Amino acid sequence: MTEAKVVVYSTPTCPFCKKAKEFLTKKEIDFIDHDVTKDRDALEEMRKLTQGGLSVPVLHICDEIIIGFDQARIEKVLADCLSS
Amino acid sequence: MPSLKIYTIEGCPFCIKAKAFLAEKGIEFEEVPASPHSEDWQRMKEKTRSGSVPQICIDGEPLGGYSDLVYLEATGILWEKLGLTDRAKKATAGESGIYDLIVIGGGPAGLSAGIYAARKLMKTFLIAKDIGGQVVWTYDIDNYLGFTEVDTAGLISKFHEHVEKYDVATREGIEVVSVELSGRIKKITTDDNNIYLAKSVIIATGKRPRPLGVPGEQEYIGRGVAFCSTCDAPLYVDLTATVVGGGNSALEAAIDLEKVATRVHLVSLTPLTGDPILVEKVEGMEKVDIYTEYNTTRIIGEQSVTGIEIVSVKDGKKQILDTDGVFIEIGLLPNSDLVIDTLTTNRIGEITVDSECRTGMTGVFAAGDVTNVPYKQVIVAAGEGAKAALSAYNYLINQR
Repeated sequence: MTEAKVVVYSTPTCPFCKKAKEFLTKKEIDFIDHDVTKDRDALEEMRKLTQGGLSVPVLHICDEIIIGFDQARIEKVLADCLSS
Repeated sequence: MPSLKIYTIEGCPFCIKAKAFLAEKGIEFEEVPASPHSEDWQRMKEKTRSGSVPQICIDGEPLGGYSDLVYLEATGILWEKLGLTDRAKKATAGESGIYDLIVIGGGPAGLSAGIYAARKLMKTFLIAKDIGGQVVWTYDIDNYLGFTEVDTAGLISKFHEHVEKYDVATREGIEVVSVELSGRIKKITTDDNNIYLAKSVIIATGKRPRPLGVPGEQEYIGRGVAFCSTCDAPLYVDLTATVVGGGNSALEAAIDLEKVATRVHLVSLTPLTGDPILVEKVEGMEKVDIYTEYNTTRIIGEQSVTGIEIVSVKDGKKQILDTDGVFIEIGLLPNSDLVIDTLTTNRIGEITVDSECRTGMTGVFAAGDVTNVPYKQVIVAAGEGAKAALSAYNYLINQR
């Protein structure tokens, strides 16, 4: 699996979170997944990173924060991140 | 270089289209206004044996009308006749050539169409912004035949795997930005600047959440403004949430939020319209305040949402409700913007189709929630997609 600094913040009932994680897995990208319904520290971290965000999934890829499963943007950020 | 002549008459819309098309392609032409029974008209009739306009000729060789022009350009033949072989090669949309069918949309309607088309050995291309479409917005489905309870992601995976077993070229994550559907060859342009050509098209683009269209809504998406309560409701632990809407989706969102939030406001423009069983449940919830016949006029916030302004429809009184987030559940809009000026649509923008999924434009079909099919359900969409593909197949075999 390729090394990339990718963190996902998700909730268990969120279908877009599932899609995002499946997408990353298919691309063989390692990621850390935080279930923010169980991990309050992760929830606070997520809210800070998104400046008060209250939507999932949130993807933290290198220095970029992406809210929602925006496939095109995720692909672009991953490409930039992996090439650096 | 061979010269192109176009016979036109005043007020003829396809003459205008043909001239615009030629101009767009950078093809010089001589226009011959040929009012009926004039000498030019007679000459045109003799050459082309046709009394319809426009008529296009290159060095006296008749080529046909507007749709023939589009076809000849798309296949490169027009460029060859003009002696421009380089452009002839470029015109044929690269290696893919002309598909038998392009399906726009990757939800149940589009995926089902893909399978049926592939099994009829139609050269098919499926373009999807996302595979699954609206199905992915909910978590469970309990009424899809054969599955007593299934999570939507699982169901979509099964649909997708099924399509992948067949020879259907697919591109996901791209959007169609424009379509040219009149004429024998349809042209589809995508947001990554690719052009795809096909003899037939199925539009299966579904619906999207209707936005409120008020100040603050766009700015705070992701930071308090949400459209997916299945995704985000669990985040509202110890917070206040507002739901805008009065139908089943709004009531279900309020029920989800009530489990975790300290307070839930439900704001509806009309009296609640959802199923009585849900209305009763929500009315009985102590943590939920219901505001019916209130219009939502503004979403307020700093870094993230802090409040929502509502106005009473009855007496115009304004109120600001403190809230950490707003869930907008006010219905859906059909994704028919691409074709709203070209195809017949109903009062709410859905593409009108007959029982064979035909749109009224030759070679153009539509299926699923984007159409006026009366019931918007996954199983209905899958059925409609199959019908549309079979209709496209019947259309194509009658062309040969």
